[in-house]
Amino acid sequence: MFQNYLNVALRNLIKHKLYSAINIIGLAVGLAACILISLYVRDELSFDKFWSNANNIYRLQTTFKIPGREPFVTVMAQGPSKHALKEYFSEDIDKVTRFNNMNTILRYKGGVYSQEMMWTDPETADMFSFDVVEGDIHKALHDNASLAISQSLAKKYFGDEDPLGKVVTVNVHRLQRDYRVAAVFKDLPHNTVLKFDALAMIDEKDFAQEPWEFTQWFSVNNYVYFTLKPGVNIARVNDQLAAFTNKNITMPSAITGGQKRDASSFITYDTLALPDVELHSPRSGMEMKAAGSLTTVIIFSAIAGLILLIACINFMNLATAKSTQRAREVALRKVLGAKRGQLVLQFIGESVFIAAIGLVLGFVLVELALPAFNQFIGKDMVFNYGDPVVLLLLVGLTVTVGVLGGAYPALVLSGFLPARVLKANKSAETSGSMRLRSVLVVVQFSISIALIIATGVVYGQKLYATNMNPGFNKDNLLVIHNVGRTGARDKQEALKQEILRMPNVTSAAFSDDTPGTSDENNTSVKVPGSETDQSILLGVQNVDYDFLKTYQIKLLAGRNYSRDRTMDGVPDGSKAKDGEMLPGTVILNVGALRRLGFGTPKEAIGKQITMGIAGPNGKPAKTLMTVIGVIPEIHFQTLKNMLRPEMYLYRSHSPFDSLTVRFKGNPEALIKRIEGTWKSMITTVPYEYDFVDQNLAEAFDREANTSILLGIFSGLAIIIACLGLYGLASFTAERRTKEIGIRKVMGATVFDVVRLLIWQFSKPVLIANLIAWPVAAYGLMRWLQNFPYRLDSWYLVPCCIAAGLLALLVAWVTVGGNAAKVARANPIKALRYE
Amino acid sequence: MLKLHNLSKVYRTDEVETVALNSVNIEIEHGEFVAIMGPSGCGKSTLLNIVGMLDTPSSGEYWFMDEDVAGYSEAKLGNIRKQNIGFIFQSFNLIDELTVAENIELALLYHNIPASERRDRVAHVMDKVGIAHRAKHMPSQLSGGQQQRVAVARAVVGDQAMILADEPTGNLDSAHGQEVMEMLQSLNEEGTTIVMVTHSPAHADYARRTINLFDGHVVTENLRAAV
Ligand SMILES: Nc1ncnc2c1ncn2[C@@H]1O[C@H](COP(=O)(O)OP(=O)(O)OP(=O)(O)O)[C@@H](O)[C@H]1O
Ligand SMILES: [Mg+2]
Repeated sequence: MFQNYLNVALRNLIKHKLYSAINIIGLAVGLAACILISLYVRDELSFDKFWSNANNIYRLQTTFKIPGREPFVTVMAQGPSKHALKEYFSEDIDKVTRFNNMNTILRYKGGVYSQEMMWTDPETADMFSFDVVEGDIHKALHDNASLAISQSLAKKYFGDEDPLGKVVTVNVHRLQRDYRVAAVFKDLPHNTVLKFDALAMIDEKDFAQEPWEFTQWFSVNNYVYFTLKPGVNIARVNDQLAAFTNKNITMPSAITGGQKRDASSFITYDTLALPDVELHSPRSGMEMKAAGSLTTVIIFSAIAGLILLIACINFMNLATAKSTQRAREVALRKVLGAKRGQLVLQFIGESVFIAAIGLVLGFVLVELALPAFNQFIGKDMVFNYGDPVVLLLLVGLTVTVGVLGGAYPALVLSGFLPARVLKANKSAETSGSMRLRSVLVVVQFSISIALIIATGVVYGQKLYATNMNPGFNKDNLLVIHNVGRTGARDKQEALKQEILRMPNVTSAAFSDDTPGTSDENNTSVKVPGSETDQSILLGVQNVDYDFLKTYQIKLLAGRNYSRDRTMDGVPDGSKAKDGEMLPGTVILNVGALRRLGFGTPKEAIGKQITMGIAGPNGKPAKTLMTVIGVIPEIHFQTLKNMLRPEMYLYRSHSPFDSLTVRFKGNPEALIKRIEGTWKSMITTVPYEYDFVDQNLAEAFDREANTSILLGIFSGLAIIIACLGLYGLASFTAERRTKEIGIRKVMGATVFDVVRLLIWQFSKPVLIANLIAWPVAAYGLMRWLQNFPYRLDSWYLVPCCIAAGLLALLVAWVTVGGNAAKVARANPIKALRYE
Repeated sequence: MLKLHNLSKVYRTDEVETVALNSVNIEIEHGEFVAIMGPSGCGKSTLLNIVGMLDTPSSGEYWFMDEDVAGYSEAKLGNIRKQNIGFIFQSFNLIDELTVAENIELALLYHNIPASERRDRVAHVMDKVGIAHRAKHMPSQLSGGQQQRVAVARAVVGDQAMILADEPTGNLDSAHGQEVMEMLQSLNEEGTTIVMVTHSPAHADYARRTINLFDGHVVTENLRAAV
């Protein structure tokens, strides 16, 4: 019995080569796409679950609510929060640790590295279960002259030598000290949000001169993680965070506008469990490495499901179409005594058999595609066949697909009355099954079209954002970093002059931040004589007098800073006498004028603002600054931020962090040349550079990647859908040969017949458009809301139409070839044998 | 109307070569009613297909209305065919998915005739063959005789000058067969040229001339004396 079924199954497979190929290939591609996406989703979900107490590690995150601005959401907390947490939550919180990357430079035997080193507290060794291969990480993190390093860093610095006890010079801020390697840990796996190759203990004494790192409540630089005492629920901590804020932070009256207001209405905290960070990070760009996104995971899971659905629909459609051709076999089996149950089993068995072949081929495709996929999404996932969960899932999937694909034809066919089938001897197909098939084709194409639209819009948004005019000329700008670091800061002016002398350099300007940054630096100012006496928070960019020229920003009114006017810019507060108001000058952007109520750019010139500055010995001092120039609002921060009111401050007396060089022609030679000059002048700081346009585009890397992946998967979806359509079209053409023959005898031309067949398959595609357009448009409009600067919604219209036409075109090409072949056949062949 | 001169048709399949028609010479005048008879496999359908331009001869001349169409392309033949020739088949060859009226309309569909005129003409022929009350039915709901009447209606609705009928009564009982023959006869009386293949001598009697084929040859041509 079984032998007979197997024979029939195999012979059918071979006899209906086209049918089998379409089914198997479609299913294999669908399963492969599904497996790849599942691997990705599984990987994203696996983040930070491997730490031995992963379920008990939480992170403290700060949001600043600045009046009149978008809240500034961070994933970090202030330095002093560590001690404050331990004190305030002494009942609930067990251990607290900080990670702070202070742009540390490591030097070993003439090599200068700007490594991913984190400064951390000793508790890290207790909280995180590092895989220590040598030395003792507890000891390393309890000593302010010891390092814990990763295996790959050890290899990079010391090669095959024993890393333990090796001495590395650490250079950060004003600190320069020799550290001894005291522990080596296995490289962090890729599925953690932590990223560093070296750890050193924070000794707060070392950074007393840099109070913003560990002691101030108004700057955030630390990732703060904590663990709870046994039996404590995180909700207990969350409930008290507002009280915690009010107890520890007092808002300066300058910010509250003189009123007494709780700190918790300006600064809010929230907590996030470590395993949730990867997918729920409120600010992916601020993590140690870019985090994933739940939306992406959900979207791609949905796509995996949809692709599989398309493949399953093929399966069902072709199976029902083909089943009509097997009506006779079924009828005969019934006449010969087969029971309905047996027939159903036979059909489902055959269908599961084909699905299993598809699965095996799917495995092959996964193996072929995985390396490229891994590289593309920056992971190193493996497809583990031995994993029982995976196996169970796949076997389950195959059986489900097989049963679904086989069930309908099995039930319908086995339900036929044999007499009818044998007598009719032709299409025993019910109109119901034909309608079902059309509905399923509509579903397939709706999905494909929606995916194509999504691809177009995501890619369009990426293009829009990266081609948006930021308000300055972003091309041909080279940024040289690290110029403000100890060892380079004293030489930065000389370096600038050297670079200006180089060929192809048209200008160069210092600034602290460079375009694409997501750093926030804000200062409150007041308008003297204004009624409210409320201070107003403005964004700050520190720039020099060549800034406007180098970035090619036009003044709307007034003048630029001049190096010849010694009084220009922010005055040096260290020379201020007690209570003295030092005069200065300032350039504002138009947004700042609006905030300050300064009217038009012309009217604003000559108006004044006061601002606090550092006075002698760290005491506060003040300056009264006159507006000398107004520039338009420019996108100096990442294009994912809204424009903000900004001051462009010039501090002639303090060094800057980076130097931007405007060049002509090919920068390769220039980069080499600057490197030579740098190395001859600066030995303790590494030479690092990048390009402004690339930095701006980088923020949209994720969108770029998503659109490519969407493109690939929507391509796959439409290919599978078309495979199915092709199969259906050939079955239909076969079924309609007689009709086509008659039509031709009646005078229909080849063209008439092709048009007839193509129209038959265009209808479902057209209907699919009507379904896909509103659904895709709605979803994408919501997605676009994520971006402050986004495509107009009308862009969806051409996207929808183009996707619809593309789908139609693909369907036509798919069906057309077959239709033409059928239409060209001699009609008498079709009519001859009835 | 048409003239076949030394016309041959050879079918080649793999290794076998079948000579279905062997130097056939036939002439058919306008308004004639010709019956073609002969044993099974003698080439009757082949002849009719070539005359109907559904197939092309292997050699020889086929003069249709003073044009040698023997070497014409399929598209060109299709054009001549749809202007001049209507068909009736033994197995009716109606489209199962279309209604009776739609099946008849099919013959006008590819002639650039406005929809209203098509409707009128279809209604007219349905009356003529007495099938009007079945206009909305599907072919499978009709008896064989009724189906063949629909096929006749379809063949005449286009007003073509010639109708080719391949065993139009082959699938019908004698009463229904007679009915169809009478319809053909009255069409012929109205001026339509009719060429019909039949196995029934009685039905061949309706024709004015009978051509007997044997093994691809024309063996005899009997002219029936006018009654
Ligand atoms: N497409 C074809 N390929 C090969 N041989 C063919 C083909 N069509 C017809 N023949 C052969 O040509 C010969 C004539 O066939 P045809 O159909 O014309 O006979 P017929 O006189 O119509 O017979 P019947 O009375 O049975 O319908 C037969 O021997 C047949 O086998
Ligand atoms: Mg025949």
